[in-house]
Amino acid sequence: MRRELRLMQQRPVYLIATVGVLAFCTVFFLTFLKDRQPYDLPIGVVDSDHSSLSRNFTRQIEATKIGKTISFTSYTEARKALQTGKITAFFVIPENFYDDVLSYRQPTLSFYVNTAYFIGGSLSYKELLTLANLSSGAVQREVLRAKGLTDSEIMGLIQPITIDAHQIGNPTMDYKVFLVNALLPGILEAIVILVTVYALGSELKYGTSRHLLEKAGGSMSAAMLGKLIPYTILFSALGIICDCILYDWAGFPMAGSVFNMFVGTFVLVLASEAVAFFIIGALPVLRLAVSIAALYSTLGFSMAGFSLPVEAMPSFIRGLPAIFPVRHYYLMYVQEAFYASGFGGWYMQLVYMLLFLFLPPLVYRRLQKAYVNLNFPRK
Amino acid sequence: MKKKYAGQWLADVYAIFVRELKHIFSDSGVLVIFFLAGLLYPVLYGLVYRNDSVEDMPVAVVDRSGSSDSRRFVRALDATRELSVDYACADMAEAERLMQQRRVNGIVMIPSDFDHKLASMEQATVSTYGDMSSFLYYKNLTMAVNMVMLSEMHGIQTSRFSTAGLGAQQVSQLVQPLKYEENIPYNRNFSYSLFFLSAVLMIIIQQTMFYGVSMLTGTMREENRSFAILPQSLHGHGISRTVIGRGAAYWILYVGIGAYVAGLVPWMTGMPQNCPFRDIFILLLFYVTACVVFSFTFSTFIRHRETVIVIFLMMSPICLFLTGFSWPQSSFPWLWKQFSYIFPSTFASRAFINMNTAGADLSMCSGEIAALTVQIIVYYLLACLAAFWENRRSTMVS
Repeated sequence: MRRELRLMQQRPVYLIATVGVLAFCTVFFLTFLKDRQPYDLPIGVVDSDHSSLSRNFTRQIEATKIGKTISFTSYTEARKALQTGKITAFFVIPENFYDDVLSYRQPTLSFYVNTAYFIGGSLSYKELLTLANLSSGAVQREVLRAKGLTDSEIMGLIQPITIDAHQIGNPTMDYKVFLVNALLPGILEAIVILVTVYALGSELKYGTSRHLLEKAGGSMSAAMLGKLIPYTILFSALGIICDCILYDWAGFPMAGSVFNMFVGTFVLVLASEAVAFFIIGALPVLRLAVSIAALYSTLGFSMAGFSLPVEAMPSFIRGLPAIFPVRHYYLMYVQEAFYASGFGGWYMQLVYMLLFLFLPPLVYRRLQKAYVNLNFPRK
Repeated sequence: MKKKYAGQWLADVYAIFVRELKHIFSDSGVLVIFFLAGLLYPVLYGLVYRNDSVEDMPVAVVDRSGSSDSRRFVRALDATRELSVDYACADMAEAERLMQQRRVNGIVMIPSDFDHKLASMEQATVSTYGDMSSFLYYKNLTMAVNMVMLSEMHGIQTSRFSTAGLGAQQVSQLVQPLKYEENIPYNRNFSYSLFFLSAVLMIIIQQTMFYGVSMLTGTMREENRSFAILPQSLHGHGISRTVIGRGAAYWILYVGIGAYVAGLVPWMTGMPQNCPFRDIFILLLFYVTACVVFSFTFSTFIRHRETVIVIFLMMSPICLFLTGFSWPQSSFPWLWKQFSYIFPSTFASRAFINMNTAGADLSMCSGEIAALTVQIIVYYLLACLAAFWENRRSTMVS
């Protein structure tokens, strides 16, 4: 163990890799998404009417936080801007629009949305739908006022049903909360796997594994424990600091207890180390093992199921997420942070993560042989 | 004389090109990344994200009103593409339990005064409780409930306006004083896979190349070899030959891999291809070139072969977000916007999305192409500079 601490000191890549990368990613995602939702999405306006009503539309978009308007003189111009992603959506107000409204000729407001850019597209779509419906309401209100109805009577007529939406687990619709809660554990998992593979594999690459075994009095288990304990402490500490940053400092919603998340983080670290042990044990060639580990961990991001839910994946692939510890961590997080379900709600996820610990024994002998004989190609 | 120079130049470039290819093909780690990741990943992502969106998401309904109005509302919800009413619960506690067990992803609660309020011409309220663990759950619940609400509203309005003393003609005009027409030309179904894959495909090209180049550079460093060996005969000259010769090796490989990723994979996974392959291919030529010199420049900082894996991993999700495919570019904080200009993927992904998905032509993406050209020039010069330093250092050592 002391040897490993010295190694960590000599090769700063370990510390830089773990602390630096995690810190950079945390800072990046928290500052990159610092507004909870994207504001001032560029929305194009092609106004062929130039009436007070059409100007009112533009003002309404400007008045919301979500949108800002850019005017175009022709449809073609606006379409090009839409195709090149300069605007997320645009709407066209035809000539004589206001006159037609006033004389009940039911003119048509057209809008175009580019949903290839998903978030911007979805939000401006919602924005424009609201605009269209509100404008109908505004016209109705004018007519009904003229009929001498009171405002509350009018509201019942214009909008007989309202929706009172509650968002469980993310009441402010904070985009950060959607992403960071799953991305950061994904990054932690990746770092743990890579650094562990590297720490175990570099003994083989530099041919120092025999020296390590000697130090451990010839005992493989002592050598492995001594090697992995410092990392386990380091990773868990980092993970717990991340938890603190998210749920305390950054104020991410946490209905349950942050201490339960500490437990989850610790088990995630253990499970990831087990995966890493399995990879290097099955493939005791550092360069191959590292590449495989990198491929595996990148997939983990998609497999956590926070972006595309797992049930939306094709059936033959739905089992795949289960082989990523971060998937189970994520499910546990949802239980704890959304519903405060406590141990009863997520112990199965904990058990699944602990099942990963059965992986190392499978390849334990093989790695031991590789450590003793150094019989695998080092390159 | 001039001909001889050109001939020698080509011979040197060719020799370096062949040597680099040999390096690549004798390194299993790099091969795994180039071929396993470069060829397999796009297909795998294509499979994982093959389904467009969540359909018939299970929800629980708590209908406290139990009236014909509320039942009609629930039936309409069940009929939407987005939702499927799987459970009718007697109380909120039961529905919450279902949600916690993740059997449903949303709850719709219709209060007991729903029909009463509708009958007395007041505003009735429907409450929704959405599982926010995915943006798609939220989107489905909100869209479906809003659509049902709007269509119910028109029916109710019609009857209410006539009771308010308006004539039949006036009622129909007033219910919808203006019409609207929505056009969602490029991604009609709000397909998640289309949006995600388009951006990821370009990232894969840049990241795997950077990873491979850096691994080889790191290896040479570890073995105390220089990555910038110059032709012996020139005594320290001919840096461009080294950079171009080595670059050509990756370039040839990646034009192939890139054509597969940007042309064949979209076809295999059924993504729309709204742009002729010729135009995509021209974009690729710029992008691959930029990626080669970009990788050369930044791989200079790699001392150890394995350092790069960590950087590779960290940068992949970050580069992905910097393309603006998700969080819109117009909302980037200033600093990160500048930061995004470092990466070729920023421009190439945007151009690819605009062309392949939105059907823009090459001339409409001239801004992105120009940016890539600037990157090619800047990174080429930097790569030469790096080779020059490396070379001077290693000759000093020897």
